[in-house]
Amino acid sequence: MVAKKIRTVTDVICPFCGTLCDDLEVDIDIKEEKVIEVRNGCQIGTKKYFASNPSDHRYDKPLIKEKGSFKEVSWDEAIDKAANILIKAKRPLLYGFSSTECEAQGKGVELAEILGSILDNTASVCHGPSLLAIQDVGAPTSTLGEYKNRADLIIFWGSNPVHAHPRHLSRYSDFIRGYFRKDGRNDRFIVVVDPRNTHTAQIADIHVQINPSEDYELINAIRAILRGVEIDADEISGVPIEKVKELVETMKSCNFGVIFFGMGLTQTLSHHRNIDAAICLVRELNDHTKFLLTPMRGHYNVAGANQVFSWQTGYSYSIDFSRGYPRYNPGEFSSVDVLMRDEIDASLIVASDPASNFPAASVKNMFKYPLIVIEPHHTPTSVNADIILPPAIAGIECEGTAYRMDSVPLRLRKVKEAPGECLTDKEILEKLIEAVKKKKGE
Amino acid sequence: MAEIKLKLKKEYEFPLEADTITPDAFAGKSAADIKKLTVYHGNEEKTIGDFFDVTGEGGELNEIKIIVDGNLSNVKRIGEKMSGGEIIINDNVGMHVGNNMSGGKILVNGSADDWAGAMLKGGELEITGDAGHYVGAAYRGNWKGMQNGLIKVKGKIGDEALTWVNGSKPAKRFPTLICGAAGSFLGIHSHGGTIIVEGDCDRCIGADQVRGTIVVKGKVARILPSYKKLGEVEEIELMNGDIIKGKFTEYSGDHSVEKNHSKIDKKTGEISNSSNGRLFVAA
Ligand code: SF4
Repeated sequence: MVAKKIRTVTDVICPFCGTLCDDLEVDIDIKEEKVIEVRNGCQIGTKKYFASNPSDHRYDKPLIKEKGSFKEVSWDEAIDKAANILIKAKRPLLYGFSSTECEAQGKGVELAEILGSILDNTASVCHGPSLLAIQDVGAPTSTLGEYKNRADLIIFWGSNPVHAHPRHLSRYSDFIRGYFRKDGRNDRFIVVVDPRNTHTAQIADIHVQINPSEDYELINAIRAILRGVEIDADEISGVPIEKVKELVETMKSCNFGVIFFGMGLTQTLSHHRNIDAAICLVRELNDHTKFLLTPMRGHYNVAGANQVFSWQTGYSYSIDFSRGYPRYNPGEFSSVDVLMRDEIDASLIVASDPASNFPAASVKNMFKYPLIVIEPHHTPTSVNADIILPPAIAGIECEGTAYRMDSVPLRLRKVKEAPGECLTDKEILEKLIEAVKKKKGE
Repeated sequence: MAEIKLKLKKEYEFPLEADTITPDAFAGKSAADIKKLTVYHGNEEKTIGDFFDVTGEGGELNEIKIIVDGNLSNVKRIGEKMSGGEIIINDNVGMHVGNNMSGGKILVNGSADDWAGAMLKGGELEITGDAGHYVGAAYRGNWKGMQNGLIKVKGKIGDEALTWVNGSKPAKRFPTLICGAAGSFLGIHSHGGTIIVEGDCDRCIGADQVRGTIVVKGKVARILPSYKKLGEVEEIELMNGDIIKGKFTEYSGDHSVEKNHSKIDKKTGEISNSSNGRLFVAA
């Protein structure tokens, strides 16, 4: 009998974006433990699988920086050094967590509590404002399956799924046929609100081209018109008033509407107040028809990070343990802000690359102090670290739980072994916890 | 009058959380006892004595006057939850100064960082310089922000001051903010606040205001589309009965807010002004 050369794993969950597609098929070269083919995934999800193969860009042994260059060390030495840094620090920062699985996130919370550190995840720079708004005014939302089966009006506000969540359209929101939407795309009306003529706008039924950073005023006007107020203005936020009125009619007359909003709404001027107003709008639309909204979460498990942090500390991000108990205040304890104010004296970054997307001034401050990363790849953050702890990639090289953008938990699968000496994020954090506890005499 | 002087003697590397610097905590204590009170520096528990020279001693709560000197720009939470007495801060001060205070007076001879006077329940907070964002605001997720008292800021304040402010005429609670100029979203979700701005304001003021009065003596960057112009007035009666004279354009709103609160007659389209927020901008 001929020995099998390829192993195929089916029903794999894609650990890339918040859509968390659950139908991937991955072929592994058995001899080399390498991904050789991915089916059903989109371009960006597929790339993550191929990037997990051993390469010059992948760490497979713990590294410590000495005199400007990295030296391979044993796990024991790396963990010992990392624990020393963390214990010595008076205001350490633990940041990232959105691209790993929930069990590891839970260990992150445990470590933060023992250290009395600041604990934050990437929601801090993406959908944190959505969480603030939800805390202020609640959120009428639902799972993606409901939208697939029922929604006949889809509004993408400040989001561009064609590029950021490529299969969202074909799985849940646009082309897909649903139980009450038998004709798929033809049974849905698609609206895109965006200052740019994005690729999503190009496949929409209408594109509302709004002035940048004036979303709040448009939502405000829509809410007022919905309540029967005559507005004395020719245009709102660059949109002719007639068009705004048409949009209100479209919203009122649909059977089941949904707003999928992205960082075009959360990270432009007005931030959480945009979401606050959007939520109030959706609430008020329910006087006329069924309407809901869902944030387009970016990292595949940022929703999970919020869930885990919330059930363990009461707060979803920007948490401070310095007084021994969790406190919450974005702006005061959020990573970018504490770094900008130069309040941190050591950082542990888990499964994230802040150097690529934080403001330069804050990154500079982070690099001034000891930096430990748990990171599989060469990134602008990791190459500037003092200690690199190489993990197995969750959802490819180890199992775990992740939450989809609609907060549905799914079980990630392991499709292959991790290269070299990589351990899982959870194992690494457990080792750190053990070492820190020992040194503290606990 | 029991005067207690605190002078910063040591630089701090991390924000210093000094919520024990209040007349309530100092009442009846000697300087030596006051020095033993806890402050937090990074993740370490320290004492007031580690960072401050302390002279004088605390007597009766309402007799106490605390004077704080030195670089206090990152000393947080001074005057937290105080219920009487007086604090004078002779420098810029860190976040949360006077948050949740219910009585007494704080004078900041300088500027204050974010959350000054957050969720104030009474008393007076005066700042002679500028103040950061969220002056007198509700902490995250709170539906009742400032409920009474007065905040005076001579200079400019940041965004989202007095969010979810909650006043009541029958209960004689008149939470009031007077400031030199203000950022955006001033008084968002106001339920009966009084806000007077001597100068200019940024965009979206009075967003989602259900009840309350905002008076702007300068210019407003952009008035929300959901505000309705009512006409010109020469006199404004504030919620507490005070009168402001001058030429103002009156608006009502926010009319985008849930219908139970602000009333528009469906047939006539007429706005019932009594249940709406009011906005006055210098004409
Ligand atoms: S849409 Fe997102 S979850 Fe689905 S395959 Fe692409 S990257 Fe992966």
